Amino acid sequence: MANRRVLVRRRNSTRNIRKITRTMQLIATARFQAAFNRATASRPYTDKLAQLIEGLARAATGLDHPLMETHEDVPHEALLVLTSDRGLCGGYNANVLRTVVEHLDSRAEAGIETAVTMVGKKGTNYFRFLRREVAEVVSDIGDKPRFEQVEPVANRLMEAFIRGEIAALHVGYMKFASAGKQMPVVERLLPLSYEAPEGEDTAGEVLYEFSPSPQELLDELLPASVRVRLFQAFTDAAVSEQVARMVAMKAATDAAEDMIKRLTMQYNRARQTQVTMELLDIVGGANALA
Amino acid sequence: MAEGKSFQLAVVTPEAAILDTEASFVALPAHDGEIGVLRNRAPLLIKLDVGLLRAETADGTRRLYIDGGFAEMIDNRLTVLTEDARDPAELERADAERCFEQAQAMTAEDSAALANREKALRRARVQLRLTAS
Repeated sequence: MANRRVLVRRRNSTRNIRKITRTMQLIATARFQAAFNRATASRPYTDKLAQLIEGLARAATGLDHPLMETHEDVPHEALLVLTSDRGLCGGYNANVLRTVVEHLDSRAEAGIETAVTMVGKKGTNYFRFLRREVAEVVSDIGDKPRFEQVEPVANRLMEAFIRGEIAALHVGYMKFASAGKQMPVVERLLPLSYEAPEGEDTAGEVLYEFSPSPQELLDELLPASVRVRLFQAFTDAAVSEQVARMVAMKAATDAAEDMIKRLTMQYNRARQTQVTMELLDIVGGANALA
Repeated sequence: MAEGKSFQLAVVTPEAAILDTEASFVALPAHDGEIGVLRNRAPLLIKLDVGLLRAETADGTRRLYIDGGFAEMIDNRLTVLTEDARDPAELERADAERCFEQAQAMTAEDSAALANREKALRRARVQLRLTAS
């Protein structure tokens, strides 16, 4: 019976798909571990930098830096969007892009024009599909971001901010909270905001020997902190992508398994029906002769 | 290494902790020249330039190429924050030469661009010096 052969073929192709999705799940798991290690490796640097900035802000009389200025009269902003190059990672890109589009619409309502810098093929394609404008595409970073790749992007945007071309810099990406929780966010990187720790006892304060002056050190430290925060956004996005792919591929493997079970059952039933029919034929024939 | 003469040295970049060891002496490429650090140095916070860091550790002298950043010495802990740190042996002569050419080709129409060009040139010169055979 043709039906049986069709079932066998479908079952075999589902098995192949299961094999592929399971492999992809395993690869994503391995990559997740690597990406996670990379993301946590930047922790000591970030923590120390924040600590130094805090110490310096106390030593220097107040904080004043071009990166902290607000340009309220400039109706332009920049938004950096981090998406993946590859698909098959469930709702990862869709979630980031939905949040980003909401942000863009709300800024547009406020009369502010936002120049989008897009990272990743998926986001680029989506914006082309929506016929939305993308000011710039950064396509060479991939899923293993290195600091030296992120640095020029950060520097370029900071320069634009200091020149007063943009009033703010936001970055839209999938923030990694834990292996079970990632959320799409749009965070503001510039202007830098800094809350002075108020009413704190000065007992812990250290009298450093500064070279050059605290103010000049801050001039270097603040851009460094913006660069590393952007770098962290990239590493977070890379980790979240692998988690999303892991989950998506696990779901696909499970679904394939269910389908194989169902197809096997259908196949057995079809075979049984055929056997019964043949038997009935034979018995019927024998009875007719007798 | 003699007890009581060493202190902790940590070199961290955004990508990894490069080094965490005991050292008896560290020479840093500071923004205004080389600075040496010994145990019990007064608290220090200093800007670094591109250059070579030397550390006398229990396993001999360690050398690291440092791409700017900051160093903090406090309570016998020297922390070096830099955006790039690597073994000078990993630097390639050809890369250094290319960096130098790129830096020379950079235009400098305003002060920010000029500062960028100066920085790139300085970095390229240090790399050239470290890769000179």
